[in-house]
Amino acid sequence: MEASILSAPAQARQAPPVLTASALRREFGAVVAVDGIELTLDAGDFLTVFGPNGAGKTSLLSLLGGRLRPTSGEVRVSGELLDFRQTSWRERIGILSHQGFLYPHLTVAENLRFFGRLFGLLDLRGRIRDRLEDVGLGDRADTLVRNLSHGMRQRAALARTLLHDPELVLLDEPYTGLDPYAAGVLRHVLSSLRDGRRTVVMVTHNLAQGLELSTRVAIQVRGRFAWEGRRVDVDGDGFERFYHRVVEGGVAQ
Amino acid sequence: MTYLGQIYAIVWKDLLLELRTRERIAAMGAFAVLAGVLFNFSIDTTAVRPQDVASGLIWMTLVFGGLLGVGRTFHLESQDGAFYGVLTSPAPKDAVFLGKTLANFVLLYVVAMLVVAVFALFFGLDLGRSPSALTLTLGLGALGFVALGTLFAAVSSGTHMGETLLPILVFPLLVPMVIYGVGATGRLLAGRPVAEVSSNLRMLAAFALLALAVGALLFRYVVEE
Repeated sequence: MEASILSAPAQARQAPPVLTASALRREFGAVVAVDGIELTLDAGDFLTVFGPNGAGKTSLLSLLGGRLRPTSGEVRVSGELLDFRQTSWRERIGILSHQGFLYPHLTVAENLRFFGRLFGLLDLRGRIRDRLEDVGLGDRADTLVRNLSHGMRQRAALARTLLHDPELVLLDEPYTGLDPYAAGVLRHVLSSLRDGRRTVVMVTHNLAQGLELSTRVAIQVRGRFAWEGRRVDVDGDGFERFYHRVVEGGVAQ
Repeated sequence: MTYLGQIYAIVWKDLLLELRTRERIAAMGAFAVLAGVLFNFSIDTTAVRPQDVASGLIWMTLVFGGLLGVGRTFHLESQDGAFYGVLTSPAPKDAVFLGKTLANFVLLYVVAMLVVAVFALFFGLDLGRSPSALTLTLGLGALGFVALGTLFAAVSSGTHMGETLLPILVFPLLVPMVIYGVGATGRLLAGRPVAEVSSNLRMLAAFALLALAVGALLFRYVVEE
């Protein structure tokens, strides 16, 4: 039986970093959504990006995950350039959005089987079983996605995200609308990913949940990282005050 | 093998979704039957021989009915952002296009057979000396149609005009296919030998291959932002 993703640390790699973004910029007409982001993340890094609405956080995630092309700059995952003419780098990335990317009229297992085939995965039956066990949906494999609660749907989406064992996991507001149990499952899976030396980038408005698992923190304002640092350098109790000062422009990096 | 597996995955998923929702096949099937009924009442078969007009009516029904189904190719994809999951997978965009086109082809081919059955029933059509050549003609036409239709359904799904835009985009490009298709179908229904329509069949095959190639080449520019 295949080992669970939650208990299987990724092999330590000599280099390169799992994620690098260089001078990353994205414009939508006159609007600059992402403006000169520089980023380097190694295996086991968990970066949480905070920021007000319209700061460009989701655009940043879309650029890192290959959903959007940058206007300028580049992104590399494990040294491989996100070249849109190629597709191999997509095998390294898992994306979880507030949308589940699941077909409501297919069952949970059918959805995972479909995406597993797109990723060319072997031993799909075992993988699907293990991922569903990881997210606590082992008994819901044959349930249509449209009949799942929001929390269950989000957990099914998490199973889809992790099905191909990605090196880089991108999360866009993953806690939105989750009940405490589903939030607990997500927290457990994310902490296991971090401990398993996967690299995670999470975008959220929730300061407490964002700080909980992160090893690095960034605050994005008007497309730029107005502040970025290590989690251990952040005072958890005073972070909300600090965050407001950064957003209002009172703190320089 | 992975490439073919990815195409198979798309076909399997699209047909399974259609089996569950019956959204498109019901619309196309109902249109085919209604068109047959209306033509049955609107054509005076004492003045016009059904064999002489059936080929045009069959193709007209197929094209309009097909647009009902093909136009909604990306409707279910937009729910819960599912198509983003496909686009961010390693599946090449041309494999996605070919998979969706093949699934549409299966649906439209079923409808094409239904159209022929309905017209045979209402007009008492003799399917000619070579029903297999007739099914080949309709099959090649359906393939070319869905290849163009799938590509332009992707274009129109990203616009505010949506399905309204699709016929405007597709109809002018379908003219050669309809000309050769109607010609071949008419001769076959008139009981002419297959050799007489072989050039039409070759043109239909060339049209289908060209539409598939162009669609596979351009699809990524349509679906990637």
